[in-house]
Amino acid sequence: MNSYVPILVLGVLAAGFAVVTVVSAALTGPKRYNRAKLDPYECGIEASPQPAGGGRFPIKYYLTAMLFIVFDIEIVFLYPWAVSFDALGVFGLVEMLLFIATVFVAYAYVWRRGGLEWD
Amino acid sequence: MNPVNYVYLAALLFTIGAAGVLIRRNAIVVFMCVELMLNACNLAFVTFARMHGGLDGQIVAFFTMVVAAAEVVVGLAIIVSVFRTRHSASVDDANLMKL
Amino acid sequence: MSATAVAAPAVHSLWTTAAAAPIHAPKIEYAQLSPILVVLGAAVAGILVEAFVPRRARYGTQLAVTLIGLAGAFAAVVGLAATGYATTKADLAAMGSIAVDGPSLFLQGTLILVTAVGVLAIAERGLEPQSREVPHVDAFAPQAAAVPGSEDEKAAARAGWSTTEVFPLTLFALSGMLVFPAAGDLLTLFIGLEILSLPLYLMCALARRRRLLSQESAVKYFLLGAFASAFFLFGTALLYGYAGTLDLGGIAKVVTGDAAPNAALNASAHGDALLLIGGAMIVMGLLFKVGAVPFHAWTPDVYQGAPTPITGFMAAATKVAAFGALLRLLYVALPEMRWDWRPVMWGVAILTMALGAIVAVTQTDVKRMLAYSSIAHAGFLLTGVIAGNKQGVSAVLFYLAAYSFVTLGAFAVVTLVRDAGGEATHLSRWDGLGRRSPLVAVTFALFLLAFAGIPLTSGFSGKFAVFSAAAKGGAVPLVVVGVLCSAVAAFFYVRVIVRMFFAEPRADGPSVAVPSALTGTAIAVGAAATLVLGVFPQWAFDLADKASVFIR
Repeated sequence: MNSYVPILVLGVLAAGFAVVTVVSAALTGPKRYNRAKLDPYECGIEASPQPAGGGRFPIKYYLTAMLFIVFDIEIVFLYPWAVSFDALGVFGLVEMLLFIATVFVAYAYVWRRGGLEWD
Repeated sequence: MNPVNYVYLAALLFTIGAAGVLIRRNAIVVFMCVELMLNACNLAFVTFARMHGGLDGQIVAFFTMVVAAAEVVVGLAIIVSVFRTRHSASVDDANLMKL
Repeated sequence: MSATAVAAPAVHSLWTTAAAAPIHAPKIEYAQLSPILVVLGAAVAGILVEAFVPRRARYGTQLAVTLIGLAGAFAAVVGLAATGYATTKADLAAMGSIAVDGPSLFLQGTLILVTAVGVLAIAERGLEPQSREVPHVDAFAPQAAAVPGSEDEKAAARAGWSTTEVFPLTLFALSGMLVFPAAGDLLTLFIGLEILSLPLYLMCALARRRRLLSQESAVKYFLLGAFASAFFLFGTALLYGYAGTLDLGGIAKVVTGDAAPNAALNASAHGDALLLIGGAMIVMGLLFKVGAVPFHAWTPDVYQGAPTPITGFMAAATKVAAFGALLRLLYVALPEMRWDWRPVMWGVAILTMALGAIVAVTQTDVKRMLAYSSIAHAGFLLTGVIAGNKQGVSAVLFYLAAYSFVTLGAFAVVTLVRDAGGEATHLSRWDGLGRRSPLVAVTFALFLLAFAGIPLTSGFSGKFAVFSAAAKGGAVPLVVVGVLCSAVAAFFYVRVIVRMFFAEPRADGPSVAVPSALTGTAIAVGAAATLVLGVFPQWAFDLADKASVFIR
């Protein structure tokens, strides 16, 4: 039974993190309600983009998908590192920080060039 | 189960992907077939890693996944930009430079 | 649990022992990797410049970052070579992933110089028509994401925007190219291949003029390139399956029998089939990048569609990197297989030389003609690879250095000959160019003569070195074919020269833009390298000869 305690602790921590973030967002964030926000399942864009007036269609979904793929897949390298974190020690930590810093450079580029703006 | 069967499966998937690249006309589908080929490589790597009792093959599989993701992004960016220009993703329509 | 352990075959126990082995932190020799790291660092800095520097200041900052990075990387290469890493201290760095030896350092130095010259041509902003509002216009799309001909694109052009991302993209491509010929294992080789390819796919799509052609060439290059790298990767998987290691040296040991491949595997799979098919598929992937004949179809289209400065960079640098990787793979990992790969490479080399030279004769577009000429040159280089001796390696190294500068210079000249629609690439438009712009025509003629292999140009020294190495390596028939193909190739180069100097100039012919110091320097360096390596090739031969031993 003892070996399950860490899992329990992890569960509590995860739940605690979720609760703290949701509550703190509700407490600190600005609140500007409007009708559209209260509509169910409304994201503001037609589900399948239709060419409208001159054959244009929004490519925001593509952009979002691409950004997701690029940033999401980096976890592939974090996972093995996390598994052998003990053995790799400071070396692994420093290399991984460098790696994450490089990913952040890409993130900074996307952010500054407007890749994160929906409209 | 004999792990060699997974190598055969990988070869089969790779062949299906290669055939798809050669047969299909839609650039996106061609591209999906390339991804299928890369995933077949992953399966082969992981199988061989198990057969050899090493970890190298599994590491390669990780790198392949990342490379495939980067390839998706670059490829989609190019294909979408062409599609927006021509309203067609058929590789047969890309023929401006034929002699 | 215990039931499965009993039922599992022997391989299962192997797996568990490997997993239980302790993991040690790897050792990374940063100093020996410094050329690659400096280039990557400059590329990352370039991304930050794109993100944070205001649009007006980006061009200057990017150019400075790029050139400083290249200078630093070249200094690092020279430093490593001077401290003996090219000869006595040659070493496998980063746990065997990167070989720091003679061929690596020679090719890395060549690549960095080639890129520096290429960047000068890429940075040119004085050739396109300009206005008072937009005083500087480069060869790249104002906004790559805007649809060609759309209002968005026109607005971006009016605002004087430009795709300064080409500078970091060039550096990223270069970092892949630096890794590619130095890779000590198959995984690093694959990563190098992808890092060099992905930025090039994007750069092909960035032309300011004729954007449809440009985008089309990018799609073709991308789809075929991804197809080829999938083959490369499956070949890697099969070789790994055969040898149980990704190390090039380790694979060679298994091939010679010094280290046994996995017994359980040999009993169940057909070991030699894995080796042969895997090796063939990897070589296929590399021959695609090189542009050798059954895998050459992308070359003319991509060379024609891509922005001309990019074409020059790509044609010169990709060839250097890919031939370096091909040499290392064949000489380090598969030397014992040469009785299997040599006949195939004979066929490929003959086809490549013949098709490149013959089809080039029928071309009417100067960029396409140069593309077919580059295919023919891939064939000449392959004869040096086939030689299979130390002389062959040094000859190929020399040829790559010589050829890349000629190519850069030739494509830089192509950017100068323009009419209202941009570059005038149709050969008929070049009629009589020698009468109106003698200097440009003479420079282009020099590059064409070097391509043709006329004495006193670097092309002659290179061809001579490659053919004599091949003859020494027992490939005399190949040399005969090579010389015949050179003669055919000389025909169409000379035909262009005749057109330029002896045809009547057309009334509506193109004008020759006066380049800024950037393109001027690029062309001058190309011409100087062509002449120096043609008239005084000995020091470069000696350098290549010293650098021609691979570490295993």
